[in-house]
Amino acid sequence: MNRAHRAAPMGNIKPKSKASNAPNSRNGSRARVRADASSALERSSMNNGRSAKRNLRTYEIPDYRLEHPEFQILQRVEKDRQGQEHVRYEVTGDLDSPVPPIRDSQYLDKQQAIQIYRYMLLNRKMEIALENLYKQGKVVGGVYFGLGQEACSCASAFALDKDDWFAPMIRNQGSLLVRGFRAADTMMQYMAKADSPTKGRDGTSHFGDIEKRNMVSPISMLGDLIPVMSGVALGARLQGRNIAVMTYIGDGGQSTGVTYEGINFAAVQNLGLVLIVESNLWAYSTPSNMQYRCKDLAERAIGYGIPGVIVDGTDACQVYDAAHEAVERAHRGQGPTLIEAKMMRMKGHAIHDAASYVPKSMFDFWRKRDPLARFENYLVKEKKWLTQKENDGMIAEVEEIIEAEREIAVNSPMPTPESAEGGVFCEEGCHEIKPKYGVPKGKKGSAAYKETEAAVHLK
Amino acid sequence: MQLTYLEAIRQGIWEEMAQDPSVFCLGEDIGIYGGAFKVTDGFIDAFGPERVIDTPIAESAIVGAAFGASLTGMRPVAEFQFMDFIGCAFNQISNMVAKTHYLWGAPAPLVLRGPSGGYVHGGPFHSQNPEMWFVHNPGLKVICPATPYDAKGLIKAAIRDNNPCIFFEHKYLYRRIKEEVPQDDYVVPIGKARVAREGRDLSIITYAAMVHTALEAADILKNEGIDLEILDLRSLVPIDREAIAQTVKKTNKVIILHEHSRTGGLAGELSAIINEEAFDDLDGPIVRIAGLDSAIPFSPPQEHHYLPKVEDVVRESRRLKAY
Repeated sequence: MNRAHRAAPMGNIKPKSKASNAPNSRNGSRARVRADASSALERSSMNNGRSAKRNLRTYEIPDYRLEHPEFQILQRVEKDRQGQEHVRYEVTGDLDSPVPPIRDSQYLDKQQAIQIYRYMLLNRKMEIALENLYKQGKVVGGVYFGLGQEACSCASAFALDKDDWFAPMIRNQGSLLVRGFRAADTMMQYMAKADSPTKGRDGTSHFGDIEKRNMVSPISMLGDLIPVMSGVALGARLQGRNIAVMTYIGDGGQSTGVTYEGINFAAVQNLGLVLIVESNLWAYSTPSNMQYRCKDLAERAIGYGIPGVIVDGTDACQVYDAAHEAVERAHRGQGPTLIEAKMMRMKGHAIHDAASYVPKSMFDFWRKRDPLARFENYLVKEKKWLTQKENDGMIAEVEEIIEAEREIAVNSPMPTPESAEGGVFCEEGCHEIKPKYGVPKGKKGSAAYKETEAAVHLK
Repeated sequence: MQLTYLEAIRQGIWEEMAQDPSVFCLGEDIGIYGGAFKVTDGFIDAFGPERVIDTPIAESAIVGAAFGASLTGMRPVAEFQFMDFIGCAFNQISNMVAKTHYLWGAPAPLVLRGPSGGYVHGGPFHSQNPEMWFVHNPGLKVICPATPYDAKGLIKAAIRDNNPCIFFEHKYLYRRIKEEVPQDDYVVPIGKARVAREGRDLSIITYAAMVHTALEAADILKNEGIDLEILDLRSLVPIDREAIAQTVKKTNKVIILHEHSRTGGLAGELSAIINEEAFDDLDGPIVRIAGLDSAIPFSPPQEHHYLPKVEDVVRESRRLKAY
């Protein structure tokens, strides 16, 4: 068998980085911070034997963040003036710490960084347009936002190659733009228009494209995309290609059983899954400490036997670097990677939800860490890769694009009632199915069938 | 060549793997062990571990991975060790796989197959017939062969089909029936019923193991001058409405026979189809013979009581003939 059946123990990634610019490494259960810098992912798997005590195993989780805020969100009973009891969430922790700088990327050049910034702008402006369309009564149902998560969506998808696949979750509307979908596609989905990618049959980011953009449509149930994306990587590998398959899961969604099944399948089969765990602190109205007990979700990687890493999800450079390394591992056939991106969902679950259950101080903390404002400041003021004028010009250009896309979307007709019918099955001639990456390479076998005589489980 | 029902399925998958490199198998214990019932016995040696993949015990991952691979143009054949366990993957099948073509136009050419059915004292979790869960789920083809010839022809058709097919093998039939199966490459079209026995007096509409129960009853009733026609549906989705109407128009009396529980079972749907297609041709009430509305009990006397029997078909046929 030429396939490696076990996850490669080390991802020999790592160009050497400057010590000042390398991730810290945190012991999974003991929070030991390592100061030395090299090969964060390399060291992320089991590290036994070096320990002074042979019976104490330690595991390392590289942490790329430049700050490590600790929060506690607890339910507390409050009494109102009438003496009525109300249960509220209360947050305690590092809510006054200063905003850290953007960590310089080890991989992004100036042009690439600006491209990511432009996609983040498109993402933000598209969602503002969607909010307006909703307020004008043009949206059917609700609108979901990725506010505060644009760096995570855009920088992660930017790390993929053309032949790689991805599957977004509801808030990764920026990933769609990076992969070449138009803003009008998403807008028409929300407006249930005839020209939407699903021709009105589904809304939001629930669409896909297996021909050009290699996107699997999400479904509303969480975690189900993970085994599916693993299967995409399996299909490609059977055709002789190691591809990266990227998908996302939230701190809420990761609670599902199929999440475990999917990651474990990818781990056992050593498939190029790049799983971005978007720790955005709130799953609808439930805080993350009511979803899981471990300190950080990246620690889950230890249990799967795969590398796990923590990044600041509001820092596009950190997200890109971790995603890039994970994609490179996938291309080398070294298996899956779990990237936990820490950030905050800056709106309610959907537009109807004012998120009044979130303590205001949490919004205040994360508003200072707005990924778009931070990246703009980094490019314009710190790196001076964009002049103020260039930046203004780009913002104006993006606004023009979004307005044009909005026009297209608004002018698309509603589907006819009859268009609800048909297409349940792939009928004769509707699709030609052939392996996407060429003739599968597996053992051909022989047409000479051999009969078997075997025991039976139940007679 | 005389082949058992199991051997016919095995040969069908083998032939498809030999002629199409995009076909591969995945499932629990299907590799070196060859599967709990040995349907894939010897496959890993013939086709290699890349194409015959032992998976973790994780049905959602098996279906999800099969679906994902199908999106890249592969034709996966996923085994459930017992069809009872298909419930573990329900969301993948129902919400992911079944809706994909309708919603976003991606074909999912995959086969989910495995043993179902009672009469083997498998108990409540190894004897079920969960096909109706999927009949009521647009986007899936549901196939239930009764004979070795059909089993081979239908598994080959399912593998070549561009849609998700759920292939219910009946474990009671695996090694109990044998028939001549041609060695040439043939398929049985999905969605076409078969008249398993021509008759004049009344029609039994059924499928899978119950075809053989009906045939036994027909032999007994023949001596009493009652001539049964037996329609073997072969697939439940798509269902052969024309063949159903035809047999009702011919005999004017109909018994619907299935193994799974009565309430919400296929007989209710078939009664409605007969109502729509051939109401004026009926000369008697539509009779249902089905499993009890309970789990399938383990102990042989209880299981026997739960499941439809030859004597049930004989008794109901006499009653309906006299109506």
